[in-house]
Amino acid sequence: MSKPRGTDGSLLASLPWTLSALALALLPHLQFLPVWITGAFLACAAWRYLIEKQRRLLPSPWLRGLLALGCFLGVLGTYSSISGVGPGSALLAVMAALKLLETRKRRDQFVLLFIAIFLVMSSLLREQYLWSLPYLLAALLLIMTAWLRMSAMRAETAMQSFRTSSRLALYALPLAVAMWVFFPRISTPFWAVPIDTSAAISGLDDTMSPGDISSLSLSDAVAFRVNFKDQVPAARDQYWRGLVLHRFNGRTWSGNEPMLDGRARDEIAFSGEPIEYTITLEPTQQQWVFALELPYSWSLPRTNMGRQQQLWRVHPIDQRLSYEAVSYTDYRADLTLAAMFHDWYTGLPNESNPKTRALARQMHAAAGSNAEFIEAVLQKFHSEEYSYTLKPPALGRDPVDQFLFETRQGFCEHYASAFAVMMRAADIPARIVLGYQGGELNPVGSYLIVRQADAHAWTEVWLEGVGWRRVDPTAAVAPERIDAGMSASMFGGAAAAWGLYAPSEFLHRLSLSWDALNARWNEWVLGYGPENQDKFMQLLGMQKPDWQKMMLTLLGLVFGMIILISLLLAWRYRAPRPDRAAMLYRRFVKKCGMALQTGETPVAFAARARASAKLADNVIDSITTDYLVARYGRPDPGALLRLERQLRQLDQR
Amino acid sequence: MFSIPWQFPRAGIARRIGTALGRRVQRWARQRQGIDATTTQLRPGRVYILPTGVGLIYALMAFAMLLGSMNYNNNLSFVLTFLLAGLGFVAMHQCQRNLVALELSFAGVEPVFAGQVAKFRIAVNNHSKIARHAVRLYTDDASSEIADIPAGESVLFTLAVATHRRGWVELPRFGIRTLFPFELFRSWAWLHMDLRGLVYPATADRAPPPPATQTSHGHRQHDARGEEDFAGLRRFHEGDSPRHVAWKAYARSGQLLSKQFAGADTSSQWFDFAQIPVPDVEQRLSILTRWVTDTDRTRAAYGVRLPDREFPPANGNAQRRRCLEALALFGLERHDEQAARH
Repeated sequence: MSKPRGTDGSLLASLPWTLSALALALLPHLQFLPVWITGAFLACAAWRYLIEKQRRLLPSPWLRGLLALGCFLGVLGTYSSISGVGPGSALLAVMAALKLLETRKRRDQFVLLFIAIFLVMSSLLREQYLWSLPYLLAALLLIMTAWLRMSAMRAETAMQSFRTSSRLALYALPLAVAMWVFFPRISTPFWAVPIDTSAAISGLDDTMSPGDISSLSLSDAVAFRVNFKDQVPAARDQYWRGLVLHRFNGRTWSGNEPMLDGRARDEIAFSGEPIEYTITLEPTQQQWVFALELPYSWSLPRTNMGRQQQLWRVHPIDQRLSYEAVSYTDYRADLTLAAMFHDWYTGLPNESNPKTRALARQMHAAAGSNAEFIEAVLQKFHSEEYSYTLKPPALGRDPVDQFLFETRQGFCEHYASAFAVMMRAADIPARIVLGYQGGELNPVGSYLIVRQADAHAWTEVWLEGVGWRRVDPTAAVAPERIDAGMSASMFGGAAAAWGLYAPSEFLHRLSLSWDALNARWNEWVLGYGPENQDKFMQLLGMQKPDWQKMMLTLLGLVFGMIILISLLLAWRYRAPRPDRAAMLYRRFVKKCGMALQTGETPVAFAARARASAKLADNVIDSITTDYLVARYGRPDPGALLRLERQLRQLDQR
Repeated sequence: MFSIPWQFPRAGIARRIGTALGRRVQRWARQRQGIDATTTQLRPGRVYILPTGVGLIYALMAFAMLLGSMNYNNNLSFVLTFLLAGLGFVAMHQCQRNLVALELSFAGVEPVFAGQVAKFRIAVNNHSKIARHAVRLYTDDASSEIADIPAGESVLFTLAVATHRRGWVELPRFGIRTLFPFELFRSWAWLHMDLRGLVYPATADRAPPPPATQTSHGHRQHDARGEEDFAGLRRFHEGDSPRHVAWKAYARSGQLLSKQFAGADTSSQWFDFAQIPVPDVEQRLSILTRWVTDTDRTRAAYGVRLPDREFPPANGNAQRRRCLEALALFGLERHDEQAARH
């Protein structure tokens, strides 16, 4: 037996609301969803609305089945999986579109609204901004209004529904806040599901090919923010180590391998003053973790140091992470280098960049020692006509040769690569380190913002008795890039020289304030985890907070608030207070020894009362007049007082 | 969908168990609440509430979202989850409050013929300052329309109860319920007003023609009351009162016409229970009912003679009601009294 497919327009009151709730829920997904899904959803929504408006038939089960199959295969084809937030929200969107086409009764819309809630939820899992909270409140209000519209009587206006749902949401708000504050947070997830495998990777690449890109885009997206506990180290010491590349094929550097080693850190000799800081890292979808060179300890679980002194996390960073770390800028790493590693770090492909290698061998021979050779190379970059630009020409075959002898223009990658190649040609172990350098100190909130634009590449060379030593050839070419940091350099004269367009100072200040607000928000709202919660509980006066205490407080608060809400509701639904004048008049009627007839006016009753002659005519008339004035006339406290007095007199008689 | 038993389901073992359970609950509620007056205000203690199927799904969804939020330590989805949970709690109280303090009063039921539907009218009074939304009344088998009750107003609901036999149709219990605001909860109250409505015997489809009119030596009466409604003219018959002759018409047309009055006892009939040539009592009553209603329509006077009582001929609504009531309750009242005595 097939279900009826006719429509009767009964959904017209609620369907537009349901559709807009779905659309709002879908909005944050738009930039991630393939266009055909958005198109399919909009088409189905419009189609469904027209069906209801013109009271047509819903599409047949055959057609719906065919569409469902097509959409499912489409999602599978687009994502090649159905787990994760990306494919999950795509599936939800498709389900909503298809469910629309079989929604016939008003109650069928429940399913659609449940889908809308899940869509909102999955958008929050994907990204959380400052505006995500107002967004989720608006979406919830719209969904709840649509929910009310579903069962509203015909006479009820949309505005009334909206007011009712807003009022209920307002009651729910304190409950939600209490639950949010006191619900115990746990640090370890139950299961690790990648949130979004399809999201674009932001930040650093794990390979480097100077010369492939002829223009470096300077994204002002935040990579991470750093709060230093005491003093902020000098800009020239702010090297945020990320990955290490050791393999070179003549054009591309690669080979960042974790090579986790439990003893890696113990083999480093730290000295000097420790620098303590907290990093709030934006999601990168990658596994390396940034820290000031060189980290001694870090508070991130399941994160280890590799053989190349880089930090590596077991799970990709798909959420904003906050961790404390301690670093020393003074360190000695790998005082001895095994022969195997020596070969690793000196390997160069035989045919590539012959001129560079020849030059290196020649300069090395001329210099007395490795250290002098390094100085000579840096001096070459510094004194000859090498310039720093963010828009260097593209390089062809043997890019290092072309860069060193022809173009002589480049940014950090070019210099780091050329420098490392020259070192290796002279048989000095060298490798490339990718990370960030510098950052901008935000005076609002005093923390360091490290942006994607601060991405940097430098080299490390291994010297006998010294271990790995950082050499940043870019510093030889553009010392201001290193000393002031990228962001600050952008406002100096350097910006124009580098081919940059600097934003206005005012807008920049504004954006710094905005960033400070975001940082606060990230720390206290988005980052309200076990540690913050612990701190906040102690601030509230809870001794040694644990989950039992928090749960008890939560239950107590919620219970108390529910009682308050029920009292509030009872008060709202109270009967109106009987009118004082009406009560007095009722007493008067009783005194007359008669009863008011239905529909009898006070004047008519007065006539009857006079006829009965139980009370004096003038008493009857004056009470009737005063009552009419007190009850229906303009506000006149005198009339009510007179009424009171006369009835008192009647009582005394 | 999860449903509390306010409808007696039809078949199936599980359903039968449900029905048995439902009856127990009913008995318990009736004992707990006692018999209600025909005007009853709902105390909070007698407005019950349970989640609906949608409500259970909603709770399940909120729980799943809580797990998700915990797993990803995602504070904004915690916000969403807790707002949904809070809304659930608020909806629960709002749902119950939507019924509490409503005043239900019985507003009568018109007598019907057996087989017709008796319509019990219940006025629901909202004395509070806030409108009540999406309220409906229901019995075991039927429910009324859904209606909003504006603040300070009352709305008349109709409960249809099928009748099968003459006598009393009883409505020992009915309910009032609401799903407002989000259909997550269903709150309801049972009322035991022990209402009953009169059911006349069904009018017989086939009835012998009523016995012939008794004219000259009968119970002809002049009912002063009946002369008030002029109903038309007819040819003068011997025996018509000279007072009823339309003299003006005679002057114009020369024809002797006699005025007819509604309610006037122009010819009266006796319908005698004992003389109906059918053995079955119920059928006799049905035939009598048919005669009464048919004759009533012609406005002629008639009398009804039952074995235990008789109604002298008359016409009009009062006579109709008297006779039909007697027919409806024939043989039952004594029974009732006996039952009451025990």
